[in-house]
Amino acid sequence: MAVSFSNFCCLRRLLINSTSCSRAYLSGFKSNLSLEKLYPTSRLDITTIPKAPESKDGKFSGYIPMDKIQVNYVRSGGPGGQNVNCVSTKTEIRFHLASADWIPEPIRVKLAERVKNQISKEGYFIIKSERTRSQQLNLADTLDKLRNLIHSVAQSLVVPEVSQETLEKQRRLRERAARERLREKRAHSMTKQGRQSPTLDS
Amino acid sequence: MAGMGNRVLAGTDRALDLLRELPRLSLSNIRSNPKAFKRNKRGRGQHGGKKHGAGNKGSGQRQNFMRLGYETGNNPFYLRVPKEPYYKGHHLRREYPPISLMQLQTLIDTGRLDTSKPIDLSALCNTKLFQLSPLENQYGFQLTDEGLDNFKGRVNIEVQYASEQVISAIERNGGVITTAFYDAPSLIAMRDPMKFFASGNPIPKRQMPPENAVEYYTDPKNRGYLADPDLIALERFKLAQKYGYELPDLKKDPELLPMMLERKDPRQIFFGLNPGWLVNLKDKKIFEPEDEQLLEYFRS
Repeated sequence: MAVSFSNFCCLRRLLINSTSCSRAYLSGFKSNLSLEKLYPTSRLDITTIPKAPESKDGKFSGYIPMDKIQVNYVRSGGPGGQNVNCVSTKTEIRFHLASADWIPEPIRVKLAERVKNQISKEGYFIIKSERTRSQQLNLADTLDKLRNLIHSVAQSLVVPEVSQETLEKQRRLRERAARERLREKRAHSMTKQGRQSPTLDS
Repeated sequence: MAGMGNRVLAGTDRALDLLRELPRLSLSNIRSNPKAFKRNKRGRGQHGGKKHGAGNKGSGQRQNFMRLGYETGNNPFYLRVPKEPYYKGHHLRREYPPISLMQLQTLIDTGRLDTSKPIDLSALCNTKLFQLSPLENQYGFQLTDEGLDNFKGRVNIEVQYASEQVISAIERNGGVITTAFYDAPSLIAMRDPMKFFASGNPIPKRQMPPENAVEYYTDPKNRGYLADPDLIALERFKLAQKYGYELPDLKKDPELLPMMLERKDPRQIFFGLNPGWLVNLKDKKIFEPEDEQLLEYFRS
């Protein structure tokens, strides 16, 4: 093994004193399995914050802006002794439903109707969770509940487009069912009449 | 060189003179030190004869042994404990001793960990509060969620396993977390770097994770060290939405940014040191290989 004697201490000090460097580039070691080789088309940047998806055309994108939501941590109920008495693990989120622009208008209206029992006098929609022992997990639970609620309301608003053939088919089925019902009704009526004793008029 | 001027012939000089005269060293003119090895005793010949090393009477002499493990009738040791399916393959399962977020916060608060530098396995082992034993199938540390709600440290940390809520706790405070794999020899080097450097071995290159771990370490959801950083950025955003916090912009802090983004190459073990380098702490020097083949090997 041919070994070269290189004193890196001086070199390192030089690099540290340089203003335009960071420790990341001190050794600059890049193997054949470095991320640049594994993902040649990637920008290799974990700091990029993607743009939030917009809720347009009356469809909810799933994005909840956290700056428009108030988060409250309070103490949970139930047994638990000192821990439940001292630790605030119940999470409550609230926002003013009528002025929530991030929810599309039709969904907002229907949601207000569906959850009218959970809206305060001032118009704040409140969701609570004390499902787990952790604040953060409870917060995730409340947001999960909110998202599922909005999605289910959105689903209920979607009117499926029905084709002419299906409408025709449904109309024919309904009419056939009505005819059958009337036929059976008449037959049953005849049976009952047959049980009557004959009179002078009939 | 037979003596320099009036110098008395020292022992080394006499030995070297002798060496010059003697024939070349080969297998035919060397022998081991006495008692270096033991000769196999066979029951043959004049003094190995009569009982031929088989003793007197019994199953020993009659070559009619009981089977291995037999205890003359009572329930033998190897049958006393029933076989349980749950421990099948236990020797192949990797273990990750836990470090809780609460412990991590305490370490940061008491100054045992320096948050101005990336925290990796070496940094955690250097606190001397955590031990790792690769011989017992321990492959690194896992970060557990005890103390999840009160974690406030801003760190660039590298562990071997972390669950989703732990990742969210680190990222919520503006930190960066990566999960990375280290094979056993790399681990032994990392857990006591001083001892490793004193051993005089060149820094090994880190091996790739075993087959059943590749999926974990290439998944951006786990912040794997082999995952695409762009996908990791997307997952950071999604996790922030899931756990209800605004994803902190790492670029807002330009002084800390290089430290936060500092990552090891998949073949690297120590920050700032390449595989193949030989560190001499005593003389404060680092040696690197010059040979092209070696450089290619350590780079591959």
